[in-house]
Amino acid sequence: MNKLFSIAILLTALVISNLSLAPFANAEEVKMVGEITKITMAGDGKAATAILKDTKTGETVTIDITDELTLDKFKDKRIVEGDEIRCKFNKQDGKNSGKTFVKTAGC
Amino acid sequence: MLVTRYVAAFLGVVLMVATSYAKEHEGKEYIQENGYKGPETCEECHPGTAKAFLETVHWKHASKVDYVDNLKAGQEYGMKNRIYTMCNGNDIVNNLKEIPPNEAGKTKFTGCNTCHPGDHAVDVGSTGPEAEQAIDCLICHSGKYDFSKRKPAKDKDGKIVMTQDRSTEAAMDIGRPAIKNCMVCHESAGGGPLIKRGFAMTKDADVHAAKGLVCVDCHTVKNHRFPTGKDPNNWANDGVYLTCAGCHNEKPHKDDDYNRHTAYIACQTCHIPRTGGAFAKDFTQWAKMDNGFYEPSTLKKEVNETTPVYAWYNLTVSNTPHFIGPKGSRSDGKSKIYPFKVYQGKAYYNKLDGQLLSMDFAPPTATGDTLAGVAAAAKTLGIKKYEPVPGWQTIYFGSNHQVAPKSKALTCANCHAINGILNFKQLGYGDKEVEKLTSPAIYFNKAFKIQQENE
Repeated sequence: MNKLFSIAILLTALVISNLSLAPFANAEEVKMVGEITKITMAGDGKAATAILKDTKTGETVTIDITDELTLDKFKDKRIVEGDEIRCKFNKQDGKNSGKTFVKTAGC
Repeated sequence: MLVTRYVAAFLGVVLMVATSYAKEHEGKEYIQENGYKGPETCEECHPGTAKAFLETVHWKHASKVDYVDNLKAGQEYGMKNRIYTMCNGNDIVNNLKEIPPNEAGKTKFTGCNTCHPGDHAVDVGSTGPEAEQAIDCLICHSGKYDFSKRKPAKDKDGKIVMTQDRSTEAAMDIGRPAIKNCMVCHESAGGGPLIKRGFAMTKDADVHAAKGLVCVDCHTVKNHRFPTGKDPNNWANDGVYLTCAGCHNEKPHKDDDYNRHTAYIACQTCHIPRTGGAFAKDFTQWAKMDNGFYEPSTLKKEVNETTPVYAWYNLTVSNTPHFIGPKGSRSDGKSKIYPFKVYQGKAYYNKLDGQLLSMDFAPPTATGDTLAGVAAAAKTLGIKKYEPVPGWQTIYFGSNHQVAPKSKALTCANCHAINGILNFKQLGYGDKEVEKLTSPAIYFNKAFKIQQENE
């Protein structure tokens, strides 16, 4: 009985740890340079999506943006459609969550 | 001592309250009624300011420099005309221009002076009424500046100009510059975001930003003259300087042992333990990017990844073709130990005189041909005889921003442990002194007490 109970506890612990680690295990960090073709701000200004055309592959990628700094750059148009962006994002469950999002241009 | 601290804290609160009120700028009714017409509108209340601004580093991109070796007396230096290996170009040879088409037939505008707060028609260091009216006051002073309106374009005569946002809406939100007004230019120096300095002025990265302070809270401007530190590589100045002690005084710690250190250790040494950005570039070898343009090959790190090197610095600078860095020693009575980001750049030198050559980025950006860039720059500068040979230059950049929170500042063992970050021998200490300086005996009790408090 004790043995069965221990196995049950062990299995439960394994399931819980798998569930809690799953989001981290599946997230893949992607780096990309691309031109912004579309920026859509959420109504409350606390999120946005940006569609980028990958300069290497030509594919379009949609990235969710929630960090304050990038959102602020969208709002005052320091970053606009047509700008070339160097970005990092986490790819997970079909969604891309932006980590860094900066213009390639400098002086 | 305690009273002093309370007074300082009180004054700090007063300053912050005053700062927040100062954001409300008078004269909005006038602007609303009359529209914004550029500097002439600002001059209604600030007469003479535009003319005075033309004398500052932000407009001239140069100044006289009195703490750097081997400069010509009476000449002004800055990004207008300097040649060194972080940029290898300057406003003169890399004047804003449309570069030739690349293989894909694409072209773009590029130039060092894209950040100059004028309209490019009247350019860096220009003077006179036309220059005064070309100043882009709002790019620094508006919270609602539409940055998409500021871009290089060709005017009706085919001349390249920088357009500006001179809308009434932008002018209605004038005030002290916010962090973004400064960083829109300063974060992209050296070829891209966070390349040159490698610091982020964000809540996550800097303790001052986390407390709501903005750049001009420390760089307290008077008549558009910005106080700065004396960075070995940032020469142009407005003739006014600042140090941490201006706000924090010379004995800012509760702990007397720490306060004793301030006589020979700069604040930055313990409080700015990391920077980032480029640490090496090769201007003789440009890499083709996915967009078909070329860029100098650059090794870089993220904002918080670079560990500084530490050296004595007496606020004067050694400047030779292959080295730009701090002068100073343990024994000169003027130096303190400062942290620096060491950067190494490869570029072409003139074999005939040993001097570093400059590069016009237009040719290599389009084709990767770096010698064509040297030739174009030589033509602009009137250099007729030169023989380009590759060589390296080492530059020390001051680590003066991105102050870490107190919990991440260095403590005793970071420096005094046997594998600590300071190389005491290299800093001029003898074997016996090094033995003493790296013995736990000098910090054990204090470190143990701190450890117990934190457990």
